[in-house]
Amino acid sequence: MSRVGLLPGEGGGSYRLVVCVLAGIGIVIAAAPVVIIFIMSFSAAETSSFPPSELSLRWYESALALFRSDESSGSQAVGAALISSLQVALVVMVLSVTACIPLAYALVRGRRRLRQGMELLFTLPLVFPLVMLGIAFLLLAESLRWELGLWRLVIPHLALVVPFVLRNCMSAMQSISRETEEAAISLGASPLRAGIDIVVPLMKPGILAGLIFAFIISFNEFTITFFMYTIDQSTLPIWMYSRTVSSLDPSTLALSVFIILIDLVMIIAIDKIIAGRASLF
Amino acid sequence: MGIDLRIAGVSKHFGEFQALKGIDLDIEQGSFVCLLGPSGCGKTTLLRIIAGFERASAGQLLLNGSDISAVPPHKRDFGMVFQSLALFPHMSVAENIAYGLKFRGVTGVKRDDRVAELLDVISLPAIADRPVSSLSGGQRQRVAIARALAVQPRLFLLDEPLSALDAQLRDAMQIELRQLQQQFGVTTILVTHDQTEAMMLADKLVVMKGGEVCQQGAPQEIYSQPATAFTAQFLGASNILDAIASDQGIVQLFGADTVFSTEEAPGTALKLSVRAENVILDRAPHPSGGPCAEVEFIRNLGASTEILVKNGATTVRVRLSSRDSILRTLAIGERVALQFDPEGCVVFRADAD
Amino acid sequence: MPAHEQTLQSLMRHQSAARVRRWRPDSALWLLCLPALLIITPFLVACLYMLRFSVSADTGSINGFSLQAYAELAQPYFLRSLWLTLKLAASSTVIVLMLAVPLAMVIVTTRSASWRRLMTVVVLLPMILNLLIQSYGWILLLGPAGVINTTLLQLGMVERPLILLFNEKGVLLGLVQTSLPLAVFPLMSSMRAVSQEYLEAASGLGASHWRSFVDITLPLLKPGLIGAGSIVFAFNASAFAVPLLLGGRRVRMLGLAIRDMISPLFNWSGAAAGGMVLILIITLVLVLSTWLVSRSDVRGGS
Ligand SMILES: Nc1ncnc2c1ncn2[C@@H]1O[C@H](COP(=O)(O)OP(=O)(O)O)[C@@H](O)[C@H]1O
Ligand SMILES: [Mg+2]
Repeated sequence: MSRVGLLPGEGGGSYRLVVCVLAGIGIVIAAAPVVIIFIMSFSAAETSSFPPSELSLRWYESALALFRSDESSGSQAVGAALISSLQVALVVMVLSVTACIPLAYALVRGRRRLRQGMELLFTLPLVFPLVMLGIAFLLLAESLRWELGLWRLVIPHLALVVPFVLRNCMSAMQSISRETEEAAISLGASPLRAGIDIVVPLMKPGILAGLIFAFIISFNEFTITFFMYTIDQSTLPIWMYSRTVSSLDPSTLALSVFIILIDLVMIIAIDKIIAGRASLF
Repeated sequence: MGIDLRIAGVSKHFGEFQALKGIDLDIEQGSFVCLLGPSGCGKTTLLRIIAGFERASAGQLLLNGSDISAVPPHKRDFGMVFQSLALFPHMSVAENIAYGLKFRGVTGVKRDDRVAELLDVISLPAIADRPVSSLSGGQRQRVAIARALAVQPRLFLLDEPLSALDAQLRDAMQIELRQLQQQFGVTTILVTHDQTEAMMLADKLVVMKGGEVCQQGAPQEIYSQPATAFTAQFLGASNILDAIASDQGIVQLFGADTVFSTEEAPGTALKLSVRAENVILDRAPHPSGGPCAEVEFIRNLGASTEILVKNGATTVRVRLSSRDSILRTLAIGERVALQFDPEGCVVFRADAD
Repeated sequence: MPAHEQTLQSLMRHQSAARVRRWRPDSALWLLCLPALLIITPFLVACLYMLRFSVSADTGSINGFSLQAYAELAQPYFLRSLWLTLKLAASSTVIVLMLAVPLAMVIVTTRSASWRRLMTVVVLLPMILNLLIQSYGWILLLGPAGVINTTLLQLGMVERPLILLFNEKGVLLGLVQTSLPLAVFPLMSSMRAVSQEYLEAASGLGASHWRSFVDITLPLLKPGLIGAGSIVFAFNASAFAVPLLLGGRRVRMLGLAIRDMISPLFNWSGAAAGGMVLILIITLVLVLSTWLVSRSDVRGGS
């Protein structure tokens, strides 16, 4: 389907020129930081002359060295931060998806009233300012004085990822006809059994996308964690922040490239899985 | 033959809207029952109540005399073929057919044998391992039927199963379905809005309208003796003509006496239902002073010829054998006399619906 | 099938009156909502807790009721921060929409699927990628010792590094970048909905591209623009990481101001009250936009 009217292919004159230039600026603004980090992480020099006069992998080597020399002065080691980041992200991913699968089912199959109310409730964290989430959770955690361990970070992250996971699960659920489920029931499967045998496998694309969404959001989360972290429970972004408050250390650039690559792979995976079938937001 | 399922006074409300209004129906052991009616008349709702997916607002379902209203659908042991077929897209053909067997303790070799047997029955022995997405419409149809029959259901329910197929395939599948039903001897209820299909398959035909049963009985009986103009029309009567009862108890059409008599009071508005093939054309004027009309349209369809004749604002559809001698000279605009073969004609009160 | 009949009969006999009563699918559905409700409960509790804190008479703990915390917000430092926040959120929204409309247009009209996918990923990345890393990128590019300043110095075009970051402009740039995807994706779906025929009809009538954009595309996109604009505004009004990392703490948007009340001052109730003001602003903007969209729907329908 061509859309000549929306954006003329040929001979659009000044209109086409302006549209393309603005879109180009948009792309550049979106991509500039990532591209620059990628290039400069290979620079051999200490200064940021561009393009780098000489290429080397020395920053990657020093990033690796960071992992090896575990006892970095006083603060938490990068390896520990990475591991706790991954732990939090994995727990968040599994719990949020486990909770959202039955919820998505109930909302799609249930009455409209139930659905509208619940959808509103579960999108609330999305419009709630992150700073406020951070402060609210911090207030609560400080007042309760419970020893929460990992859960100190998992609980706020869960609230943050649930809207995204739910949306993915619901759009997958919407494509499953009630008749398919009823067919299994008519053949003798209990409703629960039909859910496990039929609904969950058919929801797979949405579940996968939800898992990945939960992982990247939690893994990249900065603001809430900034309020909630403790010396024992921190994450990689916070570790990087505390290390670079004063100055930028190129070895963290190498680390950044590593995180960018993880994110890129995940975004591409989501894009493949839901290819045009669901909305990202 | 005993009564297998008795539907007693079943009603269904969806909020304010009443989809079923006190349905009473007896379904005999081993019979093939067709629920026939226009879209929206509540056929699917009734079938889903029988299957247990909806609960009746009132009434009972008696299976062999015991009320099954409270038995959840997965314990009813009824096989169902859905309008959308509802094959499991993530399973192969064999896995689809075998799905219900595991809930009946049929496993291992026994299960494989049963699947092979059913694939034979539906004459598709070679597709066991194909994903269902690779099947044609007719093949899917058969797999859906096989899946429901594999569990040896107590009752076999089908909701417009053939409506998605093209006409030719549908004819073939109707014959196959009827043969399968007889082979398995399973009590069957099929929902359709296609009268030919219903006539072709049913031992018993149930005509529904607006959530009510208008008429039930053997297909031939309903075909020749429809109880209402609606049933007549739905079963393919092409002409429902306005008539009136005369002082002598004769049915008058276009102001002229017909051969039909009526018991209704003089002046009562009537409807005369006539099939196109039961009209006989003759040269005007009418030998016995009966109704006449003007030829408006002639079209030879091969074995038969379709003629439209008009009197005032009313058009009558007539189908003659193409060998009928009158056709040789019939011309548009000519006046003809209308006679009716009493076999295919029924008279109703106009307000009888 | 006598065996079948028997099992069915015994089945029905064994069903106790209680189980027969009514199989209620609705209560089962509520049960399915339970795990998710459990997960979201701490969030709700935390919100209510904060609301309660904001009306506490004591700044460090919940104690009695008072609106003092709100009253104390009427101080120049908070009002300045409020003004700055509204200004930056509004200007970033305008810029984002000016970039997002053409960008969505280009992505939607691109025929090659792989180019479309590449652009989608590039636009999505700033949304997903940790803000800290993105700010590194900006610092590398625009910082005092960044690529642009180093290059300009080497070329002798400037004598001292230009201050491109750690001021309002730097924060604005970061806000635009991080909220761009929030506008591009909804606009893409509204654009797919703009019927081709309207535009062809317009060009058939001799309208120029600019005219048909102004007369046809823009009005049809209006609900999408309002929706996207309000989301961007709400998102940027509550920005925290961007001003923290790119403003060098000099650009005190509300998020930072609220945090400063906690961190050096331990004024919890003040922070909670400030947060409620922020939430109020965001809610107002979202409600207003919903109202505007529904009003334009009504007019379009009549
Ligand atoms: N779940 C439901 N909620 C509300 N109305 C319904 C529902 N299911 C069916 N109906 C209504 O009941 C009537 C009968 O529907 P249905 O049984 O599907 O008709 P049929 O299968 O004969 O076409 C229709 O008017 C339909 O709109
Ligand atoms: Mg139906």
